[in-house]
Amino acid sequence: MKKITLGLISSFAIALLPFQSIAALNNGELKIGITQEFENLNPLIMTMSATTYIYSMVGRSLVTLDADGRWVTQLAKQIPSLENGQAKFSTDKKQIIAIWEILENAKWGDGKPITCEDFKFSLEVASNPNVSVGEKETFTQVKAIEWDPKNPKKCTFTYEKARWDFYQLTGFKPLPKHIEEPVYKKYGSQKEGYEKNSNYNKNPTLEGLYNGPYKIAEVKLGSHVTLIPNPQFYGKQPHIKKVIVKLIPNTGTLEANLRSGTIDTVSSLGFTFDQAIAFEKKVKSENLPFEVMFKPSITYEHIDLNLENPILKDVRVRKALVYAINREELVQALFDGKQQVAIHNIAPLDPWYTADPKKITLYPYSKREASRLLDEAGWKLEKDGLRYKDGKKLSLLFMTTAGNKNRETVQTFLQGQWKAVGIEVNIKNEPARVFFGETTKKRKFGAMAMYAWVSSPENNPKSTLHSSNIPSEKNGYSGQNNMGYVNKKVDELCEKIETEFNPKTRTDLVHQVLKYYTDEVPVIPLYYRSDVAVRPTQLTNFRLPGHQHAETNEIENWDIK
Amino acid sequence: MTSFILRRLFQTLVVIVLLSYFCYTLMTLMPGDPVELMIQSNPKITSEDVTRLRQLYGLDQPTYVRYFNWVKTIAQGDLGYSRTYRVPVSEIMGPKLINTMVLSISSMILSLLIAIPLGVIAALRAGTRWDYLVNFFAFAGISIPSFWLGIVLIIIFAVLLHILPAGGTFTVGLENITTFQMLLDRAKYLILPVLSLAYMEIGIFLRFTRSAMLEAMRNDYIRTAKAKGLSYWTVVWGHGFRNALLPLITVITMSFAHVFAGATISETVFAYQGVGKLVYDSIISNDFNVAMVSFMISVTMVLVFNLIADILYGVADPRITYK
Repeated sequence: MKKITLGLISSFAIALLPFQSIAALNNGELKIGITQEFENLNPLIMTMSATTYIYSMVGRSLVTLDADGRWVTQLAKQIPSLENGQAKFSTDKKQIIAIWEILENAKWGDGKPITCEDFKFSLEVASNPNVSVGEKETFTQVKAIEWDPKNPKKCTFTYEKARWDFYQLTGFKPLPKHIEEPVYKKYGSQKEGYEKNSNYNKNPTLEGLYNGPYKIAEVKLGSHVTLIPNPQFYGKQPHIKKVIVKLIPNTGTLEANLRSGTIDTVSSLGFTFDQAIAFEKKVKSENLPFEVMFKPSITYEHIDLNLENPILKDVRVRKALVYAINREELVQALFDGKQQVAIHNIAPLDPWYTADPKKITLYPYSKREASRLLDEAGWKLEKDGLRYKDGKKLSLLFMTTAGNKNRETVQTFLQGQWKAVGIEVNIKNEPARVFFGETTKKRKFGAMAMYAWVSSPENNPKSTLHSSNIPSEKNGYSGQNNMGYVNKKVDELCEKIETEFNPKTRTDLVHQVLKYYTDEVPVIPLYYRSDVAVRPTQLTNFRLPGHQHAETNEIENWDIK
Repeated sequence: MTSFILRRLFQTLVVIVLLSYFCYTLMTLMPGDPVELMIQSNPKITSEDVTRLRQLYGLDQPTYVRYFNWVKTIAQGDLGYSRTYRVPVSEIMGPKLINTMVLSISSMILSLLIAIPLGVIAALRAGTRWDYLVNFFAFAGISIPSFWLGIVLIIIFAVLLHILPAGGTFTVGLENITTFQMLLDRAKYLILPVLSLAYMEIGIFLRFTRSAMLEAMRNDYIRTAKAKGLSYWTVVWGHGFRNALLPLITVITMSFAHVFAGATISETVFAYQGVGKLVYDSIISNDFNVAMVSFMISVTMVLVFNLIADILYGVADPRITYK
């Protein structure tokens, strides 16, 4: 006991000790802390968020989504559209043909111009069954790339299908054909032969592999990446002369690293939300030279309801579950109001968002309404404070990822609110690997599963709502409609959204889906997560995007004053 | 002796092969696979992508086929390809393995240098204030979690005093330095992880040394040695300590066998580029090749150090023979 007391006293004493002042920064060097691992930087193969974060400093796409949520050009001169005449339907109207013109001064780090050949080569590599590209459709949505040999920077892309989002080609990154083709020719016929022998793997510091504002000076997987300005970059030269991205795998020591000057800033892949809240308080109380930034994101924290559960088959019970929870109080009490209440699966940052009660059904907190619906459904309140129907207790299993502090706190909060209307909720949590790898995938979560969806703005909800995406043995458990939601109308709407070119009509279609979504409650929306990062006050022009396109897409604007 | 070693080496090889198949099977039984992890991070991955990737990675094959494919690759001297980092296993594992060895062996040596003399002195002064103090020090080492100690060390030496780095393996971007300067730089980054790792080991070794010495010093041959007029320290080290060595050899060789995986927490807290965290991550993310190679190294080390322990028993105690 004495030992524990001593330990507690000494920790408390350490926490109270004043920290030394933090050294002033300059444009000579910026050390960014991340807590997530990164892989090799081959843009076709990479899948990790941290790799995308780093790659955005060294490689650019034709277009990207900026921090304001607008599609902007990077390597392209302009975004082709039907309106500007740079895109048109094929004669049978089944395909789209778009002209993508690459910037005249867009070059690889070794000075070779980026041309249509590099994009065609990228498509060729990605289409090879021996290359393990994750989301292949990003590339194969383009059927052919052609150009006039007199102007190798003006490419004609013929798309496989006429889809409205044909211009959202952020994942379609070019490969430097003059460097990678010999490797591909030699190893492309072997299983994973190309990626194992690619220069991104064997010679990652080769400057010709990159076309962004920086190039790689040093890369140590599992430790750090050092970046220096790329003089061949098509845009303005970055202000910061050296950037070091440092992996600090333990979020607990991230703050100490920041305060000791081992790192200067914490990226959006650093602090957990609760750590950021705690650090913000310290920044204010100790007057530290940092700003803790919170940006509402499109990441959607929700509870999937298992629609095969006999109790949850009744929509009145599902509605009662939503009415019974006070989400406003939840975000205020647990997140200092820094995360927004979710009303459906589309976040306010998304142009498709609506909170119009004429278009969707809203569920303001109402214990009375929840009780009324449960009574109507035949679940009667008994003396023990719980509800019963035909002798069966209204009891639901509630699962999430074990060890996630935020989620476990939310669970306890919700459990209390449901108990207040007579619903017994039993918590059973599992390690993330089991929860996602087995339980949600095979829809074994009993009644309720809480987790988050990460998506992009204007993302067709087909993958989570279309009945063909209910995970089953037949489809190799690959869909993401874990609720088992089946609605023919929603299926049709999702399919229509894909090919609707009129933005207004498309938004109307999305809102019709949202109407069904909020009426039929296959999911309980909880809150939209906020992205967090720590910016030293000297660092200017740093913006958090709140979506999957990293803040480093604008790194050339960062300036230390 | 030679036939004993050869026999044991053969047994070791058989155990490694059997255990490797057992572990490979266990890994395939775990929920999820590398493709699963890709789906979680990208909801746009289609069922066609999933089928294609599973075929490409050979995940659609029965376990025994996958195991034999893996063995075939290993036999060709290729450690395979890491699906997490997208690089050959040898490339990512080699340098990290060396770093872990440096960290673990340094902390082991430091802990032995401190624990053995302190343990002997505590045993010789049993029941005195000195013994209580040493015991307190040892119990603190055993009971203080290494991650907590690590954070405290970072706060004191990196944040408050600014005399040691908070984390890392070396200073990034150092150019034009001599080998000596490079070694000094690396040593600077080793101090805190070594201290946090060594403190726990000191506690364990100290307690073992103390109890083994207490036991040894109670024996008749100690009294005989003293009666023969041998000097006090000859009795302590030549007779007492030598007889206390047997249990110590077991503990120390077993600790050496686990240096490979034992530093995971310290490596994570200090962002030290070691293999401990790599192993943990590879198991969590189903990075089969990395996990299997690390498993092989781990098993081999346990078996080899067991063999070394058996040989050392004979060296320490001539009464032990090998048939």
